[in-house]
Amino acid sequence: MITQLANWFRRKKLETGLERELHYHLDRRITDLERSGLPTAEARRQALLELGGIAQIEEEVRDVWLTRWLRDFTYDLRLSTRSFLRIPSFSITAVLSLVLGIGATTAIYSLVDQVLLHALPVRQPERLVLIDWHGDQVANGFGSWNLMSYPICRDLDKQKQFFEGVFCRALTTVNLSTGGDYRPAAAEIVSNNYFQVLGVGPVVGRVLTNDDDGTPNANPVAVLSYDFWETQLGRAPDVVGRKVLVNRHPLTIIGVAASTFKGIDVGEVPSIWIPASMSAQAIPGFNDLLDRRTRWMQVLGRLNQGVKVQEAAAGLQPWFKAMLQEDMRRAGFPVITPERRREFLNSSLVLTAAPQGHSSLRRRLLEPLWVLFAVTALLLGLACLNVSGLFLARGSARDREIGTRLALGASRGRLARQLLAESVLIAFVGGLLGIAVAPVAVRTLIAFLPPGTAPTALHVGVDSRLLLFAFLASVAAGLLSGLAPAWQAGRRSLMSSLRERGGTAFGGVRLRKIIVTAQIALTLTLVVGAALFLRTLDALMAKGPGFITSSLVSFGIDSQRSGYSPAEGNRLIRRIDEAIRQSPITEVSAIAQVPLLTGGSWNDPMTILADKRFSTNRDDVNLNAVTLGFFQTMGIKIIEGRNFDERDVRAAGEKGWRSAIVNEAFVRRYLGGRSPLGVRIGEGSGPDVKPNIEIVGVMSNFSYRGLREDSEQAYFPFFEGEAAGGTFYVRVRGTPQSFLPSLREIVHSADPTLPMTDFRTVDEQVDRSLNSEHMLATLSSSFSALALLLSLVGLYGVMSFVVTQRTREIGIRLALGATRWSAIWLVLRDALAMILSGIGIGLPFVWALGRLVESQLYEVKPSDPLVIALTILVLGSAGLGAALIPAHRASGINPTDALRVE
Amino acid sequence: MKRFPIPQGTLDMLILQIVSLEPLHGYGIAQRVDQISRSVVQVNQGSLYPALHRLELKGWLKAEWKESETGREAKFYSLTASGRKQLAAEKHGWARLASAVQLIFDEGAR
Repeated sequence: MITQLANWFRRKKLETGLERELHYHLDRRITDLERSGLPTAEARRQALLELGGIAQIEEEVRDVWLTRWLRDFTYDLRLSTRSFLRIPSFSITAVLSLVLGIGATTAIYSLVDQVLLHALPVRQPERLVLIDWHGDQVANGFGSWNLMSYPICRDLDKQKQFFEGVFCRALTTVNLSTGGDYRPAAAEIVSNNYFQVLGVGPVVGRVLTNDDDGTPNANPVAVLSYDFWETQLGRAPDVVGRKVLVNRHPLTIIGVAASTFKGIDVGEVPSIWIPASMSAQAIPGFNDLLDRRTRWMQVLGRLNQGVKVQEAAAGLQPWFKAMLQEDMRRAGFPVITPERRREFLNSSLVLTAAPQGHSSLRRRLLEPLWVLFAVTALLLGLACLNVSGLFLARGSARDREIGTRLALGASRGRLARQLLAESVLIAFVGGLLGIAVAPVAVRTLIAFLPPGTAPTALHVGVDSRLLLFAFLASVAAGLLSGLAPAWQAGRRSLMSSLRERGGTAFGGVRLRKIIVTAQIALTLTLVVGAALFLRTLDALMAKGPGFITSSLVSFGIDSQRSGYSPAEGNRLIRRIDEAIRQSPITEVSAIAQVPLLTGGSWNDPMTILADKRFSTNRDDVNLNAVTLGFFQTMGIKIIEGRNFDERDVRAAGEKGWRSAIVNEAFVRRYLGGRSPLGVRIGEGSGPDVKPNIEIVGVMSNFSYRGLREDSEQAYFPFFEGEAAGGTFYVRVRGTPQSFLPSLREIVHSADPTLPMTDFRTVDEQVDRSLNSEHMLATLSSSFSALALLLSLVGLYGVMSFVVTQRTREIGIRLALGATRWSAIWLVLRDALAMILSGIGIGLPFVWALGRLVESQLYEVKPSDPLVIALTILVLGSAGLGAALIPAHRASGINPTDALRVE
Repeated sequence: MKRFPIPQGTLDMLILQIVSLEPLHGYGIAQRVDQISRSVVQVNQGSLYPALHRLELKGWLKAEWKESETGREAKFYSLTASGRKQLAAEKHGWARLASAVQLIFDEGAR
């Protein structure tokens, strides 16, 4: 088969070879015959006779070269190309439908592949596993998901019967300078064996290895990413040995990692890798590297060759249980309730295959991307059906041709194959153009991704995997579009098609109606999906964050990353706060320790002393610390009690907060509606926590992590803590954008080297926090608009055809006294039947889609009757509208003209 | 004596056998087939070339353009290693078939 395909490409050469070979034979034979005494002409005649026809031999040999099937196929393609060029309008419509379908599917697949499927560019990525703790770790921590402590990771690395190695990593942002300005940069803090276990080497210098000193603070080195080396250092060859400043701490560059390697998180491309031993420098104020009860790193391992994930998970349990027992006996293990101790001891390790590494972007996009992929696949299906319909329409115009070919002895299979070849050809043209538009589409899509996704993380180019996908999509589309016409051709009755006169052929109307019905079913599904996403976005926008965002600007400052001590940093923050509040551009301003609407939060279990003493779950109460002006700045109401004031200022030497303000949700959940004022709470859980923070006020509910959640919250006074950084919220007088430079100046005059992070308006922050909702709503509604258009075109086409076909019948009816209205009804009835059955078939799909997208929705159920009813109304009226044009034509038929047609 | 047409499938075997003796061009093979089978089987010269190309595609024959005995370039076919193996297998199969048929005839004669 391969040789034969190859033969097709060198058939010119084969042809000349064969011709020479046969001529040689003929000439020799003629010479021989002449020698035996025959005259030249007679010798030639006899030689040809013996050989039995050169053309026939050539044909037979060609069959050997290419196989019969392949040769026929090439003929089919040639014929198809010619027939397409003859009717360009048909071909353009068909190709455009498929470009749309294949282009959209390919673009979405590009993201699906890069974000969800692509394995890391490391040695044997299929052996990588993510190791996660299932149960209560009795630990504090920070970071995203799947976190454990550094010492436990080091213990896991020793389990050599299962693992070749186990490493851990944590992402952070550092202030990075190569000599000039400090810029915030993504950094990955890694254990020394990170590169070895992954199997990633250097392009320059060396990477970290197990031989590096693991003692805290002992090894001030760093590995740069290739991108950083290229863009910031111009690929300087003498980079090794130079120093970079990380949060003002000098680290010596030991090398640059391989160019293909961009960390193990697809959304975050680190500029620099810092050994865990230097974590105190990379994360200011962090000194818990060796604490077993501080969870902050993701732990990944490489299984030994041949070890299965389940085997390793089961095999680790005895060691793990022993470790739990040992941990409990260690000095410094917190005092906990018997119930929590049980939970701790029942913990287990969960191993999951992680060939794609660990990514919070993947976690966020997993569902939206699959939903969009399903949507585009439906759109592609619709486009195929459209092309099918077009082919059927053309097929009926070509009835005579096909009938004649059948009569001349062409087999039905052969004809069906011809039609399939045509659709595959169209699909390939569509696929090629689809590939051509894919990069543009991917660039558009990337704009929808969560901001903060590293710009270098995803590429828009077309790689071999994408080409393969587009190729398969095209083949599938081609076969799918050609199936119905081919089937139709196979069923055609020879007698009837020859007997019928031109123009009245009954070419597959039933099949075309079925196709339109299917299109309507798919469109219904897509439009309902789009409506659900639009309503979700709408509901979230209408709900809002619960505070006033207009004229509000925010930016973050972390003084410790710029080398300030906590006390100095605290003073700096106060200075900046004062300067901003004095500035004429400022109406009001405030600081929050943790920024709002970024997806992150500060969490700790809280001990509440109400009627009885109890503790909350770790993740339930979101905490924050804010300055006095916060509630006024954000427009948040104090419903009960008071704002923070001088009564909350601590006496010298006093530790911790005196007071807290909680939100309504907190009161409802934990205090059962009783008056919260005076209730005492404490941060942390366990018997040693002293609940001595008094609730002094209740604030209205507003969004903390994101717009979707209404969490319980407790806020503390900012300056009564040791905060050396935070997020400023400034309400300016006028449009926010015009004041960004002035604010920058204020911060600069306090410290010119201090970077400001996430400097933007709060409106923009709200938009950003809704970005996957925006993506789903925008894309799914554009896709469903296209789908609607495609199926309306299909419906219009088939109804026009029906009217043409029934001209005579309608003419007779009109002549016999039927009214114009009844003629219109005759056509509309047909259309209505298709629309209604399409809707009937579509409803179960809508139900299935609803289950797929349920978790993406907000305040709307997938079975929302209003959404479904509206969609049906829109679809039905648009469909009837499309059918009305041919129906109107039917009513205008002149009976005498109609009867004269023939 | 009337010549009967060559049995289906034996043409390939015949070609392999002829080419196994020395590399030959198409016309030469045709002549050799003619000589060998002059009075017994009849080979349509037209079917020779598709067969040659089929055997070449299967990798049993390899072809090469060389100067022939008349001084003109001709396409010479020769046996490949796998062609040699195939010929041996066919010979063996043929011998078994022939002896089996003979056995049946002997049985009937007794």
